[in-house]
Amino acid sequence: MNFKIWHKMIIGITIPSLIALAGGIFTYEYINDVKHRHGFVEIADDLKGRALEVRRNEKNFLLHKTDPYYKYCQDAISGFNNSVDSISEEIVDQIGKDDFLLLRHSTQAYSGLIYALLRNYQQETDVIERVREEGRKLETFVASGKHARELSINFILDMRRWEKNYMLFRDKASFDKLNLSLSLFNNIIPFCFECARYTEAIHTLFSVYNEIDTKVNDLQIIGTKLEEITNKIASRERQKVSDFFTHTQRLLLMALILLCTLGPLIVYKTATYIVAPIKRLADITRKISEGDITLRAPIREHDETFTLAVSFNKMLDHLQLTQESLEKSMELLREKQEEAEKRASLGFLVSGVAHELNNPLNNISLTAETMKEDIKELSPEQMAEYVQDILAQCERAQQVVENLLDFAGARKSSSKNNLNIVSVVQESINLIANQLKVNNINLRLDFHDSILFIKGNRSKLEEVFINLMVNAVHAMKDSGTLSISIKPDSEINNVFIEIGDTGCGISQKDLKNIFEPFFTTKPVGEGTGLGLSVARSLILEHEGEIDVDSTEGVGTTFIIRLPLIEGSV
Amino acid sequence: MTDKLRLMIVDDEPIVGKRLKRLLEKEGYRVETFTDGFTAIEELTKKKYDIVITDLKMDHVDGIMILETAKHKNPDVKVIVITGFGKKETSAEAFKKGAFDFIIKPFKFEELLQVIKKAGISLEEGLL
Repeated sequence: MNFKIWHKMIIGITIPSLIALAGGIFTYEYINDVKHRHGFVEIADDLKGRALEVRRNEKNFLLHKTDPYYKYCQDAISGFNNSVDSISEEIVDQIGKDDFLLLRHSTQAYSGLIYALLRNYQQETDVIERVREEGRKLETFVASGKHARELSINFILDMRRWEKNYMLFRDKASFDKLNLSLSLFNNIIPFCFECARYTEAIHTLFSVYNEIDTKVNDLQIIGTKLEEITNKIASRERQKVSDFFTHTQRLLLMALILLCTLGPLIVYKTATYIVAPIKRLADITRKISEGDITLRAPIREHDETFTLAVSFNKMLDHLQLTQESLEKSMELLREKQEEAEKRASLGFLVSGVAHELNNPLNNISLTAETMKEDIKELSPEQMAEYVQDILAQCERAQQVVENLLDFAGARKSSSKNNLNIVSVVQESINLIANQLKVNNINLRLDFHDSILFIKGNRSKLEEVFINLMVNAVHAMKDSGTLSISIKPDSEINNVFIEIGDTGCGISQKDLKNIFEPFFTTKPVGEGTGLGLSVARSLILEHEGEIDVDSTEGVGTTFIIRLPLIEGSV
Repeated sequence: MTDKLRLMIVDDEPIVGKRLKRLLEKEGYRVETFTDGFTAIEELTKKKYDIVITDLKMDHVDGIMILETAKHKNPDVKVIVITGFGKKETSAEAFKKGAFDFIIKPFKFEELLQVIKKAGISLEEGLL
C-alpha cells in the first residue's frame, strides 16, 4: 500500500490508541459486571437472613405450639416470599431459575406444614384432655370395685404414671410401658367400657403424636433445605464475584504482558514502517558519500520522500556531470603539467648543456682567432695542431649535442624494453654531471659496473632519476654530496636505487605530502610541484615503489624499488 | 708603458691558457697560465700579479676562491672572471667580492683584450 508519511504516522498513533480504548472499555464493562454481581450477593445474603428468620420462628412455634407463634412463623414466611417476589425476573434468570422455583415450592410446602401442625397441636390439646378425662373415669371405675380381678388400683396408677411420663417426655421407654399396660386391657375390654374408652383415647394420642412428629420432621427437612438453597445461592454468588476478581486479575496481568511485549513491537514496526523510505534514502546517500556517485535514490515511494529522491537524483546528475568534467579537466591539467615538468627538467638540462657547449666553442673561437692573427708566423706543425684542436673541440661539442638529442628523442617512446638499470642510472648521472660541477657538488657512487636487467622505458626512468638528482642539487645549494647506490636483492628479485643528498632535508609535516600533485616547498612560480608525483606515477608504471627518508638539516634519501627480470641477478 | 703587466690565466681547459698566452704576449703582457686552481693559489702567494683572469667553475678550487685569494694578497689586483655558465647570481657574487669584470664564454679575444686594457688603465690611475 502506498501511504504518505503523515498517513502512516496517523495510523501508527491511531492503532495503539484504539487498542488502549478497547482495553479501557472492556475493563469498564467488566468492572460494571462485577458491581452487578456484587448486587446479587447482597440479594442472596438477604434471602439467607430471611430463611434464618423463618427457622428461628419455626423453633419458637415448635416450642410454644400456640397461635401467636404460628402467626409470627407465617409472617416470617411471607417476608421471605415477599423478598423472593421482589427480585426481578431478569435477576432470577441470572442467579438461577431452578433455585427460585425450588424456593417457592419449599415455602409453599413449609407454610402448609406449619398450618397442618397448628391443627395437630390443637388436636393434641383436645386428645390430651380426653386421655386425662378417660383416665380419671377409669380410676373412678376401678375404685368402684365393679371391675375385673385383673384390674388393681395400683396397676391403674402405674399406667397413669406411664401416661404422664409419656406426655411429658415422649420417650420410647414410657411409650413401651404404656403400650404394654394397654395390651393387658385386651382381655377385659369386652367387659370394661372405661378400659376401651381409655385405650382408644391413648391410641388417638399416639396417632396425633405420630402425625406431629412426621410433620415436624418434614418441616425441619424443608427448613433445612430452604437454608441450604439460600446458603448455596449466597456462596455461589460470592464465588462468582471472587471468580470475576481472579479472572480480572489474570486479564490485567495478561494485558500487562501483552502491552510490554506487543507494545514495543508495534511501536518498532510502525516506526520502521514510517522511516523505511527515509532509511533507504539515507543508505543511498551514505553509499554515495563513500564515493559511488553513479548510484541513484530509488523512485518507488509514493510519499514525501518521492520529491526528495527526485531532487536528490537531479542534484546527483549535476554532481556527476560536474565531477566528470572536473576529472577531465584535471586529467588535461595533469598532462599539461607533466609536459611542463618535462620541459622544465629539459630546460635545466639544456642550461647545463649550454655550459658544456660553451667551453668547446670558446676553445674553437680562441684557436681560430689565434690562427687568424698569426697565420703567417705559424709553422705547418703548429697549424696542424691548431686544426686538430678545433676538430677535437668540434667533436666534443657534437657529442654533447648527440647526448641531448638522444635524451630528447628517447623521451617520445613509451614502450618498455629490457634495460640495464645500472647504465640507465649512469646515463642520468652523465646528463647531470655538469650541473654537479657548476653547483660544486661531490658525487659519491656506490655501485659496480654490473648488469641488472629490468623491464622499463629508458627515458621515463632517466626522467625520474634526473628529477631526483636535480632536486638533490637544489636542496644542497652550491655545496654537498650526492650519493647514489644500486643494490640488488636476489631474494625478492628487486633492485633498490638510493639517491641521497646532504641538503636541507624535508620537515615531517611536508614529508607525507611530497608525492602529492602540486605540492611544492619552492616559492610560487619556481616549481610546479609535480616532479615527485610524476616520478611516483612513473615508478608505479614500472610496478615499483618510491619512498623517502629525510632528516631536517641532515639530508634526504629517495629509495626506489624496481622489479628485476627473473634470473638477472 | 714602463713595465710589462703581469697576467695570470686560470682555466681547466688547457686550450684557453695556451691560446691566450700566445695572443696576450704578442700584445706585450707577461702571461702565466694554470689549469689547476691549487697551483694557481700557490703561485699567487709567491708572486705578485697585476691582472688575474680566471674561469669560474672548475673542479676543487673555483674562480671565486682564486678571486678571494688574489684580492687578499693584493687588494689592487684586477680580477677578470670568465664563465661558460652565465648566471646573474654568480656575476653579482663575483662583483661583490671585487671582480673587475665578467666575461661570458664563448668570447672574442678582442673583447677580453678591451677589458684587460681597461684594467691596465685602472691600475695606472690607481698608482697616480
